[in-house]
Amino acid sequence: MSAATTTPGGARAATAHPGPTVGRVVAAEWTKLVSLRSPWWTAAVTVAVAGVLTYLSAEASSGDPGFQPVDSLSTGLALAHLGPLVLGVLVGAGEFRTGASRTTFTLVPRRWPVLAAQVLVMAAFALGTAVLATAASVLGILPAAASRGIAVDLTSGDTPGLVLGMVLFLVALALLGLALGALLRRTVPALVTALLVVLILPVVLMTAGDPLAGGADPASAGLAEAVPSTTVAGTLAVLSPGGAAQLMTTSPSAGPMPGAPDLGPVGGGLVLAAWVLVVLVPAAVRLRTRDVR
Amino acid sequence: MTTVVPAARAGRRRPHGAPARTGPTLPRVLAAEWTKLTSVRSNVWLALGTVVAVAGTAYGLGMFVRPDDGRSGSWVVTSGFVLAQLGFLVLGTVVGTSEHTTGTARTTFAAVPRRLPVLGAQVLVTAAAALVTAVVALGASYVATADARAGGAPGLDLSVPGASRALLGFVVACVGVALLGLALGALLRRPADALVTGVVLVVVGDQLLAANPGRVTDTVRALLPSSGARLLQDDAALAALDAATRGPQLGTWGGGVVLAVWVLAVLGAAAYRLRWHDVG
Amino acid sequence: MIEVEALTKRYGSTTAVDGLTFTARPGTVTGFLGPNGAGKSTTMRVVVGLERPTSGTATVDGRRYADLPAPLHAVGVMLDARSVHPGRTAYKHLLAMAQTHGLGRARVREVLAQTGLESAAHRRAGTFSLGMGQRLGIAGALLGDPATLVLDEPVNGLDPDGVLWVRRLVRELAAEGRTVLLSSHLMHELALCADRVVIIGRGRLLADASVQEVVDRSERAGTVRVRTSEPELLARELLAAGAQVTPQDGGVLHVRGASVDGVGTAARRCGATVLELGSESGSLEEAYLQLTGGVVEYRTAGTPGGAR
Repeated sequence: MSAATTTPGGARAATAHPGPTVGRVVAAEWTKLVSLRSPWWTAAVTVAVAGVLTYLSAEASSGDPGFQPVDSLSTGLALAHLGPLVLGVLVGAGEFRTGASRTTFTLVPRRWPVLAAQVLVMAAFALGTAVLATAASVLGILPAAASRGIAVDLTSGDTPGLVLGMVLFLVALALLGLALGALLRRTVPALVTALLVVLILPVVLMTAGDPLAGGADPASAGLAEAVPSTTVAGTLAVLSPGGAAQLMTTSPSAGPMPGAPDLGPVGGGLVLAAWVLVVLVPAAVRLRTRDVR
Repeated sequence: MTTVVPAARAGRRRPHGAPARTGPTLPRVLAAEWTKLTSVRSNVWLALGTVVAVAGTAYGLGMFVRPDDGRSGSWVVTSGFVLAQLGFLVLGTVVGTSEHTTGTARTTFAAVPRRLPVLGAQVLVTAAAALVTAVVALGASYVATADARAGGAPGLDLSVPGASRALLGFVVACVGVALLGLALGALLRRPADALVTGVVLVVVGDQLLAANPGRVTDTVRALLPSSGARLLQDDAALAALDAATRGPQLGTWGGGVVLAVWVLAVLGAAAYRLRWHDVG
Repeated sequence: MIEVEALTKRYGSTTAVDGLTFTARPGTVTGFLGPNGAGKSTTMRVVVGLERPTSGTATVDGRRYADLPAPLHAVGVMLDARSVHPGRTAYKHLLAMAQTHGLGRARVREVLAQTGLESAAHRRAGTFSLGMGQRLGIAGALLGDPATLVLDEPVNGLDPDGVLWVRRLVRELAAEGRTVLLSSHLMHELALCADRVVIIGRGRLLADASVQEVVDRSERAGTVRVRTSEPELLARELLAAGAQVTPQDGGVLHVRGASVDGVGTAARRCGATVLELGSESGSLEEAYLQLTGGVVEYRTAGTPGGAR
């Protein structure tokens, strides 16, 4: 403990341009992200869940007569995608919840570069996670494929597109979570909103778009046989963030969901990207115009 | 220099403003928990939002139901349950974790050092709040679907076997989900963890397993808390579900029992952690 | 240099800061005082650009904070000690701060050493005690070697060692020609380290003067305290001489309007025996309490029941 200080300007002389640049803010945000434990935990769980669940699912369906290992490839993501989504929310809202925003925005008072850097950094981290999770999914189908003597070829047909779709799906959900966290600034409301639009809303809309006979429980209603025509609710379902996201993990040739127009994986990806922007823009406006508490 | 207070006098001294019998009793802890729950404005908004979301969903789904869908009137009224689950889960989670996220745990458990009465009171308070919210949501859904039932959708006929039980089941299942949220919150102490776990147990797990029907997956499905949704089905729907499954057939009350067991088991784990581990 | 001019900040119908004007100058430690809820923190947050003023301006070195090209080097800020993510280590927290302005790891290690946090550098901030959190906040404020420092309650929660350290630190920072704006509840602490004080109540300026000027305004300042065996006799004599006398217990009189010499002469004149005689000086604490007495937001009620 010493009361000595350097002479004023000592630290300043080190650099030519002293202020925050985009590159510096990105470096700072990267340090902030990877210095927390939650991103690493979430990434590890995401990869593990993707691999294990895909393995179990492929094993379960390997007895079916028309078994195609690649069809099971994205099954693990049905649960694993919660990881990037939750991570995005935790990082986006965590900044404000913990008060770290006071430090961040006194350093970068223009504020927008911080949000841009957070998006970039989260996309990069989620990309790494997504690649690993997709690789784990590929590993997950190998035992089932081997047991049936089917070679897994990732380079032909719809498969490259599917693999790419799976990676982008996870990245996009991380960004959606981040945007919701940055907009709402509190963990619980942001998480509830994220779960609502990604998980619950598509289920509700598909229940409406595709009523199945027998009055079964609504949770499984979205999985019934295809109804040929499109319905209002079915259209809304694929336009919801969760429904659009699910399209990204299907093959282009899989055809539309029941009662929904056929947007395909690319269309689904564009719809989800639009949703990310729709949430990011008000988050940016709120950041710029409102006080940081 | 210290002042020594005679022990006898210190023991007899009654704090200013205190009633004859001092110390935390269950009704007092209960009153304190109720005050805590209702004094946070977001909880009131949450309850209102849940009611609106449930009734809105029922209204929206009611527009799409045709008489030949084979759906019953009770299904139309309770169809907001998918969304309702999230609201009740959040309600429970917020009560269960608020002590630990806001640091009020230090205050609360310093005032009630035996700790478990606090959890007990939270269970009662959450159940009461969820009960009121669920009943209001059911009423709102009934009103919201009146037009649909008068038009294309089937009417609510209480003489249909199990129809009245299904309406009651909506309220019971909502309370059960709220208590599961509370238990998860009290156990995990972090809202994000508790919410994600709750959603996986109540919504995602079931959806995931339903995509791969089979003996094993259907058995696991039956044992998840999402089985509580069976309480909302009338006799015909239950029979259809039991006919379709390759896992155990849960019958009329089995789903409710599974949910109740989950609530009790997680509450037990939370109570154990609260009793024997440090409060952060 | 911090210049606050006609600053007003409202939240809905609540006015937190009401037409506040003051200046914190280079080479000076400016103490910022006021009861809880008086608007100190709000003012500081407006100064560092976290909140927008409803009207009026706050500038640092003549610029709005948001227009500063390199804020970290212009202003060192320590607001709430909890401006850190609890899951991040002290080192990484400071490193991320440094990276925004292209500073290296060496500078981070320097401020960690300067604030005595080396041994705790790789612990998560959530595990820090209040005092360590304060040190981390101060480390962040020093990081950019800034010409201006804004410190909100920097000694809050520090041990006596730490309090002494902060006192020396801010004195040295001012001696190097920097501007220091520092809020505190600890009056005697401010009296020791501040040159000027700005006192506000309910968002309005109550005093902006040097510490000595404020102390001199306290009621006790300039009075004479005398203890005598015949207080009534002496009081009559002093009143006749035109002084104001306030009798106290134990034969003590507080005399205003007479010097120590005058009181001693008066005692000899009337034959009262003087047991103790001296001039009284006021304290910052007294002056503060008298200034803010009418504007305390949350007043303490009497002892419950009054019985002990």
